[in-house]
Amino acid sequence: MNEHERKVASPGELPQEIPPARDLWPGIAAAIGAADDVRAVTAPLEPARRRFAVHPLLGLAAAISCVAVGMWLGRVSAPPVTVAAAPGEPGAAPGGAAPVPAASLALDARFDRAREELLRDVAERLAALPPESRAKVEASLADLQRARTDIEAALGRDPGNALLQAMLVNSYQDEMRVLAAVRDTWGYQEDVGA
Amino acid sequence: MADGGTAGARAVAVADIEDALVARARRGDARAFERLYREHAGRVHGLCLRMARDPQLAEDYTQETFIRAWRALDRFEARSRMSTWLHRIAVNVILERRRRRDLPLEFVEDAAEYDRDNDTLDTPVEEAELEAAIGSLPPGARDVLTLCGIYGYTHGEAAAMLGIAEGTCKAQLHRARALVRARVASGEAR
Repeated sequence: MNEHERKVASPGELPQEIPPARDLWPGIAAAIGAADDVRAVTAPLEPARRRFAVHPLLGLAAAISCVAVGMWLGRVSAPPVTVAAAPGEPGAAPGGAAPVPAASLALDARFDRAREELLRDVAERLAALPPESRAKVEASLADLQRARTDIEAALGRDPGNALLQAMLVNSYQDEMRVLAAVRDTWGYQEDVGA
Repeated sequence: MADGGTAGARAVAVADIEDALVARARRGDARAFERLYREHAGRVHGLCLRMARDPQLAEDYTQETFIRAWRALDRFEARSRMSTWLHRIAVNVILERRRRRDLPLEFVEDAAEYDRDNDTLDTPVEEAELEAAIGSLPPGARDVLTLCGIYGYTHGEAAAMLGIAEGTCKAQLHRARALVRARVASGEAR
């Protein structure tokens, strides 16, 4: 038992929650890994629309990952359909003369808008988290950011590398999952005053 | 009244989110199940620690509880409380392990009514002291006091979890309360 200082007069006043001293999830995850394979084989398939209806943010994450795939494939393999960017718009070179891939520009903007919106929402949740939880979330996000920076640097040297492209998409998906989990989990805990 | 209504609405919202997580976990989404684990681990571990009186065993039982829960998710009834369901699984795990280790429960047979208000001690004591007094009880009495006294289950619910008669549950609780009072009063639990 942990050290306690608070005085109580009945068992009903004792805390119901005593968190384990260590994170037990890795052991559980390892144990259910095999079960996961079995479930994947035996679970009936459901329509994709219904799956995403349960959690719209996961649908959003998946959609964004598709956008990101399209963006990278478009950059790497699509014929360079170009538009003349207006002066002052993203992609406009000094003088407004440089051509920019049109699809890439549009997809970049959509992705950035969705991500920025989620980041703004989560920033408020983060500020309200207990310091320990906030540190964990921020550390996870920082790890993802570092990984992405490395991948982007590698892609800069080898833009056609499909594996690196997939890794980059995965890093965005992972980030979206973390952000969505924070927005949902901590959002509703805060709502119930936990 | 508005607060009560808001709290009710929030409780419904929480239940809805939990239902959504359960639905996703049933389809094999381990991330959703991890969130359920994060939400309930403290309460499950608290019960295991109090019933097992051994931190290592308590962690082992907690892990086993969530592993079994994952495998049995299809049998979880929507709209029932996930926390109660997990506690039922945890109690099963603990009782099974006790049987394997030949640690039978001791049950007394004299029944007495349980009134949670009567749990109140004459003088408040430190949490650690009360935990120690409860921990020093014989397993049967400790289990019942943990389930009814700390986690608020009714005699019927606790008896069903432990696989004993409701009258036996009442008797155990009566005995547990008397022993705790005596041990706190004598300072044995310090």
